[in-house]
Amino acid sequence: MSSVPLTAYLMLALILFCIGLFGALTKRNAVIVLISIELMLNAVNINLVAFAKYSINPGLTGQIFSLFTITVAAAEAAVGLAILIALYRNRQTVNVDEMDTMKR
Amino acid sequence: MTGEMIAFFLLALTAITGGVLLINLTNVVHMVVALIFTFIAIAGIYITLSAEFVAVVQVLIYSGAITIIMLFGIMLTRHQEKEKRAPRLKIILTGLAIGLFFLIMYGKIKDLNFGQQDVELHVDNTKKIGIELYSHYVIPFELTSVLLLVALIGSIILAKRDDDEKEAKK
Amino acid sequence: MLQMSWLIPLFPLLSFILLLLFRKSKSESTAWIGVLLTGISLVMSVGVFLAVWQGEGIKTEGTWFQIGERAITMGFEVNPLNALMLVIVSLVSFLVHLYSKGYMHGDERFPVFFAYLGLFSFAMLGLVVSPNLLQLYMFWELVGLGSFLLIGFYYFKPEAKAAAKKAFVMTRIGDVGLFIGMVLLFWQVGSFEYDEIFASVKNGDISSGMLTLTALCIFVGAVGKSGQLPLHTWLPDAMEGPTPVSALIHAATMVAAGVYLVAAMYPLFQASEAALTVVAVVGGLTAIFAASIGLMQKDIKRVLAYSTVSQLGYMMLALGASGYVAGIFHLTTHAFFKALLFLAAGSVIHAVHTQNIEEMGGLWKKLRITGPLFLIGALAISGVPLLSGFFSKDEILASTYADGKYGLFWLAVIAAFMTAFYMFRLFFLVFTGEARGNEKGVHESPSVMTFPMIVLGVLAVVAGYLNTTWFGTFLSDYLAQGPVELPHGDHHGPAWIPLVATLAAALGIGLAYLIYQKGTLSRDWITRSFPSLAEVIYNKWYIDEGYDQTVVKGTRGLSKLGVLFDRYVVDGLVTAVTNGVQGLSKIGSRLQNGQVQSYGTAAIFGIVILLLIVALTGGYFS
Repeated sequence: MSSVPLTAYLMLALILFCIGLFGALTKRNAVIVLISIELMLNAVNINLVAFAKYSINPGLTGQIFSLFTITVAAAEAAVGLAILIALYRNRQTVNVDEMDTMKR
Repeated sequence: MTGEMIAFFLLALTAITGGVLLINLTNVVHMVVALIFTFIAIAGIYITLSAEFVAVVQVLIYSGAITIIMLFGIMLTRHQEKEKRAPRLKIILTGLAIGLFFLIMYGKIKDLNFGQQDVELHVDNTKKIGIELYSHYVIPFELTSVLLLVALIGSIILAKRDDDEKEAKK
Repeated sequence: MLQMSWLIPLFPLLSFILLLLFRKSKSESTAWIGVLLTGISLVMSVGVFLAVWQGEGIKTEGTWFQIGERAITMGFEVNPLNALMLVIVSLVSFLVHLYSKGYMHGDERFPVFFAYLGLFSFAMLGLVVSPNLLQLYMFWELVGLGSFLLIGFYYFKPEAKAAAKKAFVMTRIGDVGLFIGMVLLFWQVGSFEYDEIFASVKNGDISSGMLTLTALCIFVGAVGKSGQLPLHTWLPDAMEGPTPVSALIHAATMVAAGVYLVAAMYPLFQASEAALTVVAVVGGLTAIFAASIGLMQKDIKRVLAYSTVSQLGYMMLALGASGYVAGIFHLTTHAFFKALLFLAAGSVIHAVHTQNIEEMGGLWKKLRITGPLFLIGALAISGVPLLSGFFSKDEILASTYADGKYGLFWLAVIAAFMTAFYMFRLFFLVFTGEARGNEKGVHESPSVMTFPMIVLGVLAVVAGYLNTTWFGTFLSDYLAQGPVELPHGDHHGPAWIPLVATLAAALGIGLAYLIYQKGTLSRDWITRSFPSLAEVIYNKWYIDEGYDQTVVKGTRGLSKLGVLFDRYVVDGLVTAVTNGVQGLSKIGSRLQNGQVQSYGTAAIFGIVILLLIVALTGGYFS
């Protein structure tokens, strides 16, 4: 039985990671940036789960790890959004390129 | 061409399409909706990888919770309907860097193969995960609950309108 | 007495410092500080001279600093040559101080003038007692500074300012020569000490080519200071300074420093026939050349200045013709009679307030003291028998003849004739005939001015008896005690030489008398006969113009090139560098835009580069 090779999953994860990274670095809306980061985390999860099945030492560890990652990602999304709203209340914008207080 | 193969290609295609749409669409709400497809496709990918529980969690948390949170975020913040493009130079530079990154990683992973072993991951998947979580990984599991609590309280405090401060300013 | 001789230069220094403290003072009694302190120097100098006459000498040195194994020393030395110089310098300096008390009366910067005189005297006396070349060089430069300050004393006059600058620059050319010579000697000998230099010259440690080179370099220094051809042009211009300064610096002492230098380094010159010949030729040419210019000048001080240049040429000629004693002898007598002439000229200028001899005349009756004194000086410099100039000039002619330099001998005779002519042209124009200018209220100078002149007048008469064939050669015996081995021989050549010299002097005086007193010969007789020659001579052989056309224009051209180079090449480079740096920093500051995404992009670039390195070197993954 020929099944899908590990490389295919890794390639999918890589493509999604790159898309997420690109979005995170070029999008101007802060919400989209946050979502792009979620996409990157998802790509990582694919890797974890794929390695859980196809690796020298397969097991449930990868899946459990990905569960934890999802939890942390959820928490991160919640906190990130809270920060975003606080920021929006102060500066009336969610545009990333208008947030340049680091320069000062 | 096995059924597994076909399922994988369809799911992968959906996921990547969602990602590309995320990059190319201009309406912010549309972007988030495009990403829902990606998340669901990724859940399908998990199923092909014999991880039913993770797939269910993926659908629940990502496609459900996070996407909804993001949509709320978009609606709570007044935004331009049309997302403006970043400067061309920035896109080119970032694209160049990421392209290089992709090429390098591709070169490294394309011949990666650890062989295939017969493991019964799909048999009683949820049960096994539950046993593992409550035995071997009990401490990280509890810590996760603490983390979630902190995130909950933190988000509330951050997002709360600072009435006292406002009054102090007045 | 000799132990204390190092104090001699310090008294004028003290005078300089004290007078600088009193420089705001309006009181003219400040002059007495300078007079008194130089007087002490004079008394000590005479004491030292008498001690040296007895055959004593002293040399004291201490190590100043050490370079490797070579010690640089400082100290003082008294030998017959510089004891004589000490007396001459301190005597003339003292008399000039006294004279200036009257001459500078009413000047706004009266104390400053005396302070500068003190500085100069200090430097000159220090120069004389220096036992090594390095110390000599330092005082040599200080002397130049003193000269610069005093020439430019009337700094509000543009001519004086220009003259001071010219003197500084022209003598600097010579100084560079001296410096090169000094360094060459140090390289060859490893010491600046006269004694060690002479010792290695004697032992033949220095190759003959190098000897000639160093001697010539040192001679260039002497040429600059002593106003020899072709660096003489600063000396006539230096007459813009106050007249006592001209008497002290530009007649008696500083310009004689060049002659002194050659005399002090005489063993070096003796070792090189070529160097001696160059010295003699330059001296002889300067003598006749300057004398010819003196014939036509209209400014009383300029005539005397060219006369000085000419007489300095005589001294150089004597030294170059192995007439060591003759050179020093003429240096001594010249110091007295030329200082006398300058002081007398100053007295005349003081009386009539002009320097143009065409506007003088008939002053003999009005200046009853200055006139005869000027006559004495003129007779002495012309070489009339029984006065000092006769003996020293005779000595020079004799040694030139004995050395076999017949061409230079005849040049010197002609120069002697010219000297007599222009001196008496000056005398007749100034003191006899009708008054041609406004001479109302002309009166004799105060006694504070006439006294120094009388002293110098007496000396101008009797100084010649220091060394005569008739009464005894005191000076040669005295100088023979010194470190210099005199090239002795009978320098008192054929008996007809004094006759020729006397004849030349008499001819000159007679011709001047005929033209300017009797009017037998028309005054513009020469001018009409040789108009172009007269033109050339009147314009000082166009030397200044020549320098203007070549050196000055050349330097200007070079500087213009330099400006262009600076503007376009150097500035261009600088602008390129600044623009580059500015561009870089603009890029850098644009990167620091405060946006997380840009920083993220930069971070990704960094990661990609690291990954590239790993991938290419095949590090972790392979």
